[in-house]
Amino acid sequence: MNERILIVDDEPRYVRLMEANLITEGYQVLKAYDGQQAVNAVVDQKPDLVLLDLMMPVLDGFGACERIRGFSDVPIIIITAKGEEQSRVRGLDLGADDYIVKPFSATELLARVRAVLRRSKKAVITSKEAIFRHGSLTIDFARAEVFVDGKMVYLSATEYRLLLQLAHNLGKVLPSEQLLVDVWGPEYSEDKEILWVSISRLRQKLEVDAKDPRHIVTRSGLGYVMPVL
Amino acid sequence: MSSLYPLIDPTISDDAATPGTLRPRELEAVYAISSAVAQSVDIDNALDEIINLARPVFIFDNMVLYLKKEGDFLEPMYARVIGRGRTAEAELAWGGVIANDVFGTGDTQVQLEKLEDWENNRLSYRLLLGLPLRSATGKMGALVFGRFGGPAYSPDQVNLAGFIAAHISQLLVRQQLVERIANLEAERRLQQLQDNFIATISHELCTPLGFIKGYATTLLREDTSWEEGDRKEFLTIIDEETDRLRDLIDNMLDSSRLQAGTLKMRFQHLPLNELLTEACARASSRFRDVNLHFSPSEKVIVQCDPLRFVQVFDNLVSNAIKYAPGSPIFISMKSDGQESQTTIRDEGPGIPEEHLDHLFERFYRVPDSNSNIHGTGLGLYICREIIAAHGGKMTVESRVNEGTSFHIFLPVVPQEDKYDEHRGDLS
Repeated sequence: MNERILIVDDEPRYVRLMEANLITEGYQVLKAYDGQQAVNAVVDQKPDLVLLDLMMPVLDGFGACERIRGFSDVPIIIITAKGEEQSRVRGLDLGADDYIVKPFSATELLARVRAVLRRSKKAVITSKEAIFRHGSLTIDFARAEVFVDGKMVYLSATEYRLLLQLAHNLGKVLPSEQLLVDVWGPEYSEDKEILWVSISRLRQKLEVDAKDPRHIVTRSGLGYVMPVL
Repeated sequence: MSSLYPLIDPTISDDAATPGTLRPRELEAVYAISSAVAQSVDIDNALDEIINLARPVFIFDNMVLYLKKEGDFLEPMYARVIGRGRTAEAELAWGGVIANDVFGTGDTQVQLEKLEDWENNRLSYRLLLGLPLRSATGKMGALVFGRFGGPAYSPDQVNLAGFIAAHISQLLVRQQLVERIANLEAERRLQQLQDNFIATISHELCTPLGFIKGYATTLLREDTSWEEGDRKEFLTIIDEETDRLRDLIDNMLDSSRLQAGTLKMRFQHLPLNELLTEACARASSRFRDVNLHFSPSEKVIVQCDPLRFVQVFDNLVSNAIKYAPGSPIFISMKSDGQESQTTIRDEGPGIPEEHLDHLFERFYRVPDSNSNIHGTGLGLYICREIIAAHGGKMTVESRVNEGTSFHIFLPVVPQEDKYDEHRGDLS
């Protein structure tokens, strides 16, 4: 309880807006006003979630996201402006878990925060067997760690949950909608874009050749599967 | 029609060279013309130079260059009258007939024109040589040389003229390309500015909108109740952001009205010193913490729309606050009886020299300025246009690390003219 949320935005009025609303839900709030401060705050204060604006001075949201992902899998929600689909995809590509589009309502903000925190928590407790192997891929469920050829790979909470879904359903084709509902939550069932970006990102991290994937295979029109080797 | 000389006479030549071969002197001219064309930057200079180079080897009294305009209509674009024709004013119509013939047929032609008293006046006996100008894509125009009173053109000279015409065609093609590139470049630059403007304006519009939406929905939340202090804070933000949105929209409307020339001005004769005193007082109360110094001068009457003048003033003061945070702002005015000068000066970081020329352009924003500073690139454009509508002008001076001064020049109304003593409240 009392998750700590880092708010990163160069507009003090946005910081205040998010802070006021998050506090009412019992969250603790940390604040940063540029990307560099955000990276430092993640290092020093280890928040449970980062709300990250993209347009910022010093180090922008993309740069911050990339650096944070270099050492931490803390869930990140990027905040983009309407009409900036490109930057949303780029943010997700850099390892963000979710996004909010400005202008957003207070309830929308709180719902997204709840959904992302819920996903990040479930991920850690799911474990059936201690170790799962799939070719060069190894998943240590107990520690929530992933290795390729013995080398540890950093996955975001969402990426890890997506991988678990596929691994737990080995050989079974999972439709996109089901993956979205199971991994992201019922309100995301239509959001195919976020699934595509996450799948492609997972492949880049896990596959020898992302264009010829062995662990996560697309079944056109049906969904995705981790095939039995 | 009888002629004194044949129009082209292969036997007439300055010396006994074989027709069709160039003598060293001509060869030299041909090389020089080629290299002049290759090096030319400006077409008028290049044509002058071609004439200078051709004259020693090819005698002519005038040369007219006709260019195709819309509807295959020829228009003289360049004309030089040299030597014997100089006393007569350059009559461009001299070559009009032959130019159209040559342009129509595409063939080189020689014509003889005999005016009434041709037997007594050499200037009335005209040998005209017309040559078509062509580019790879079609006809461009015609080049006409005129000689008064002979001699006839030798085949060598016609060849040389053809060579000159070909080079002039090449020059014109290049000139057209240069113009097209310049036009495209200008269009591209405007497009770029407009693209940036659209990105900026959408960001500028969305920011206040995002606050209004966010804080309004915060207050509307049913699952929580807010303390009176919070409610007031949120409502104040909504109120201020609504103002910001309105200012932004006003700016956009002003800018497009100025662009279209439909912004109405209500001019009055007013004392500039009093106008500035009031504007400074209001700016001091509006922008808290601003360190404003005003040194008023004697009474100077100007013709101005007070609302618009104050708009310009406020814009410059708020720019100084934005871009030179913490710096004192000095307002001063002076007049030489003809023109008043109002100066708004700050001691901020200044503006790099390369941006000063563009500062008043519509949509222009100094790159690398702090992204946290809001702006659309319209403010100074609006200021300059408003002052221009007053018959005045605006200038800027700036030194990096020293500060920036904006000057507003307005024409002074002569003292005998009475100004409106009972003008209304400026606000």
